[in-house]
Amino acid sequence: MEKYYKIADLTVSMDTFGRTAKQAEPYLLQQHNSADIKIKSNWKQWKNTHPYLSDEDCEYLMTGSSFYAQLLDYNGLMLHSSAVVVDGKAYLFSANCGTGKSTHTKLWLKQFGEKAYILNDDKPALRLVNGTWYAYGTPWSGKYDISVNIGVPIAGIAMLERSEKNEITPWGGREAIFRIYCQTNRSKDEKLGIKILEQLDKLMVDVPIWKLRCNMEPEAAIVAYEAMSGEKWRK
Amino acid sequence: MKLKPGFILRTVAGQVVVLPSGEELNLNMMITLNETGKFLWERLENGAETEELVSAMLAEYDVDEATARAGVERFVAKLNENGFLA
Repeated sequence: MEKYYKIADLTVSMDTFGRTAKQAEPYLLQQHNSADIKIKSNWKQWKNTHPYLSDEDCEYLMTGSSFYAQLLDYNGLMLHSSAVVVDGKAYLFSANCGTGKSTHTKLWLKQFGEKAYILNDDKPALRLVNGTWYAYGTPWSGKYDISVNIGVPIAGIAMLERSEKNEITPWGGREAIFRIYCQTNRSKDEKLGIKILEQLDKLMVDVPIWKLRCNMEPEAAIVAYEAMSGEKWRK
Repeated sequence: MKLKPGFILRTVAGQVVVLPSGEELNLNMMITLNETGKFLWERLENGAETEELVSAMLAEYDVDEATARAGVERFVAKLNENGFLA
């Protein structure tokens, strides 16, 4: 059955099952008019090319990819990242799978205790609303479904690399563009690519980008927090 | 002359970038261009040959033919070496 959801402050319609339906439950709308984003999933087609995936995983990937592609038409884009919130600001940590995004934001939870929570652990939606970039929780939030259904202003985005020592520097220019481009929607469709770059242009002008080289010690979270928030860390 | 399909030329955060579209992204196929590079790339998108590129350079910039030709040849050779030409 087709249901309506509020995701990233957009009305979304989809008829889904399994893990997607479960993870989307907190986003359900009781009343609705018309949908901004209509998700039509053809997971069976995806299954043909990815036979090693389960039906519900195909559906999850397919609906997510459809949502994030259409998000580009609403001043938004997806960033493959773990987003942690402290004092009402979102801090995003992006990197290739297996680099330790979630491990890093877990260090924040440890350091900040109840002051901090994870907004989305895998694919937050980023949107420019009334001149401010927000990060939103979504149903497409990774295998552990750690996500909250709200939007939080973005304090900064750090591209994360593993290193023995902890250091963070402001980043921009070509290398930063290339790295961020690698962590958003992927598509063979050039039109989608152009839309991604339009959003990226706005995002990189407004939101501070950092290069974080860090280990997995608690100090990594403090180093990142102090630079990105401009505040001294205190318990 | 033809560029390989699937590349996007765009200005992002003040940089002129050429990025691949597709599911497999290779950092080696991501480049930035200067003003002349952008000028030539846009003409290559329309399948321009060396002579057309040289003429376009002469019409647009204050350069002599030998310099324009050398510049065009250098640019095209570099694109070719790095796998951007079809």
